[in-house]
Amino acid sequence: MVNTAFSSTQDYVASEELLASVNVAIALKKPLLIKGEPGTGKTMLAQAVANSLGKRLIIWNVKSTTKAQDGLYMYDTIQRLYDGQFGEEGVDDIARYIKLGKLGEAFESEEQVVLLIDEIDKADLEFPNDLLWELDQMEFYIHETKRTVKAKHRPIVIITSNAEKELPDAFLRRCIFHYIDFPDEALMEEIIKTHYPDVEENLMRNAMQVFYDIRAMRDIRKKPSTSELIDWINALQIGGISADTLREKLPFVGVVVKKDEDLETVKNGMK
Amino acid sequence: MFSKFFYTLKNKGLDVTLSEWLTLQDALDKGLCESSLTQFYYVARMILVKSETEFDKFDMAFEECFKGIMSENEVGKNMLAWLDKPEMSALLHEEEKHWLNQIEEIHVDKDDVEEKFKERLKDQNEEHNGGSFWIGTMGKTQFGNTGGNVGGVRVGGATGYQSAFAVIGARKYKDFRDDRVIDNRQFQTALRRLRQFSTKLDIPKTELDIDTTIDKTCNNGGYLQIEMMRPRKNAVKLMLLMDSGGTMIPYSRLMNDLFQSVNKSNHFKDVKVYYFHNCIYSKLYKTPECENGDWIDTEWLFRNADSDYKVIIVGDAAMAPEELYSDTGNYRGPNGGLSGYQWLQLVKRHYKKVVWMNPKMAPGRAPWREAETAVKEIFPMYKLTVKGLNDAMIKLMVNK
Repeated sequence: MVNTAFSSTQDYVASEELLASVNVAIALKKPLLIKGEPGTGKTMLAQAVANSLGKRLIIWNVKSTTKAQDGLYMYDTIQRLYDGQFGEEGVDDIARYIKLGKLGEAFESEEQVVLLIDEIDKADLEFPNDLLWELDQMEFYIHETKRTVKAKHRPIVIITSNAEKELPDAFLRRCIFHYIDFPDEALMEEIIKTHYPDVEENLMRNAMQVFYDIRAMRDIRKKPSTSELIDWINALQIGGISADTLREKLPFVGVVVKKDEDLETVKNGMK
Repeated sequence: MFSKFFYTLKNKGLDVTLSEWLTLQDALDKGLCESSLTQFYYVARMILVKSETEFDKFDMAFEECFKGIMSENEVGKNMLAWLDKPEMSALLHEEEKHWLNQIEEIHVDKDDVEEKFKERLKDQNEEHNGGSFWIGTMGKTQFGNTGGNVGGVRVGGATGYQSAFAVIGARKYKDFRDDRVIDNRQFQTALRRLRQFSTKLDIPKTELDIDTTIDKTCNNGGYLQIEMMRPRKNAVKLMLLMDSGGTMIPYSRLMNDLFQSVNKSNHFKDVKVYYFHNCIYSKLYKTPECENGDWIDTEWLFRNADSDYKVIIVGDAAMAPEELYSDTGNYRGPNGGLSGYQWLQLVKRHYKKVVWMNPKMAPGRAPWREAETAVKEIFPMYKLTVKGLNDAMIKLMVNK
């Protein structure tokens, strides 16, 4: 792990545990599976890893309709049909109509890349299973052109999940797992300072106090997350709010608390 | 190699596979643990455990195996440098440990160890490896690292981490255990298991059947010929019967969450929700308030909701014996000449798939809870937790 070790970057603060997970995953050449509450910086991690190692980042955003095949390649039959009907050149060359997906792009890259498979749990239950071979062997086969696409440099694969669905065991067994804990106050301070280096100390402390108090309220439905606190502090700075009245007036609290019921709870709770 | 740890993990209910175990060995070979116990804790956890709900079990197993190897305190930089020996990963060689311990059977007294440790920390001024008095590596005193002594004080290894035992001691992952009672989102996820796709429903053909369209178009010499098909729809119909009696009041938030998630799950073909008070009798209520008159006949429900409905009954099954067995036992409404127990059996006879979810079910057999035991004999009963709900959903979906 000489010059390939990942460390915290200018705009991303990672806990020691997280750094270790990333570096172990790189050393063992296994995908890193990241879970955690929404807004704890799962997606940003990949960007930070790419920046820190000086590699290109390829993002594969998974949606509920995404199929494993989409990541490998697409055969654009419609285009070929059109070209055929209008007598275009090169219709008999199928390779012209094969378009590589994000995974294929990562494999074909001339240098090692960081591949982020974002929110894998959004897709169908079988989706992770369909990728087992590709992620293990780092290759796939294009039936139409009888070509095997093999990774030139094994990409660093980072996968995020919001735990909407259970992932299959066979898939989990191949991954390195890390759960991003909610940051404690010391780490939170560091995170805020990386985003706003000249934030006023008093404002930050008061905002954090209120924020952790809100999170600690028992009947809150959606707990605010790190990214919401950062947005809130930004709003407070721009609005030029004084730190002393934060607790009584709760300015811009809509940035932190998103549900009507929660808004009531928070207002009553702060009195 | 420390296979005891492997079996302890298995005993704690963690499903660790051989391939994951080999990956851990690989990590050790590559020196990723730097012979630090804390680092080893994190590396082992990230490789062997794949869900934060199981961190707690892992912590328990880890504590059992490596207990007594405590974290560093008040140790100078010099001493850490003497102790920093990544090449001595002998910590993990069970045999060597065994051999070292044989030489001197040490009775471990925590206070005594700590006192001696502090004393020697003060006096020691050079590096020691393999001795039996000073703090050093490979030795058999209670101090230092990579030594054979398992009941002593651990010094050094990688720094900068929250020590393994500080993490375990706090049991900070206890709340993630999946045998805990659940929230709304997890309910919804569990309910998604109730899916049975079918195209054999009586609905219009509204979706483009791409494959057939392409085939037909090709056969047609390239002239477009469109084929439509019925969309694939979930065929599962759900019936939720909820106890809204006095003993259920502590669980009203949980009931509300369950109701919300069923409501939000729009993937069912049909959902029916009714309420009952303590036990099911001849009437089912339309609202949780269970007011007289605002009800339907249970028999009407049997006639109008066919046997394909998957039925989830939620209740604490804490009826008084007469509420269950007497045919006049219903003090809120009519009995219809049958006891609650007989009504429950009618439900079972009428519907193919019924489960009972209980928010305060006793673990194992509980003969002192008479009504609960009786209900368990009629319906499969699950505790209302993530795991329980998942198990129940599987029960509802399997064919016998």
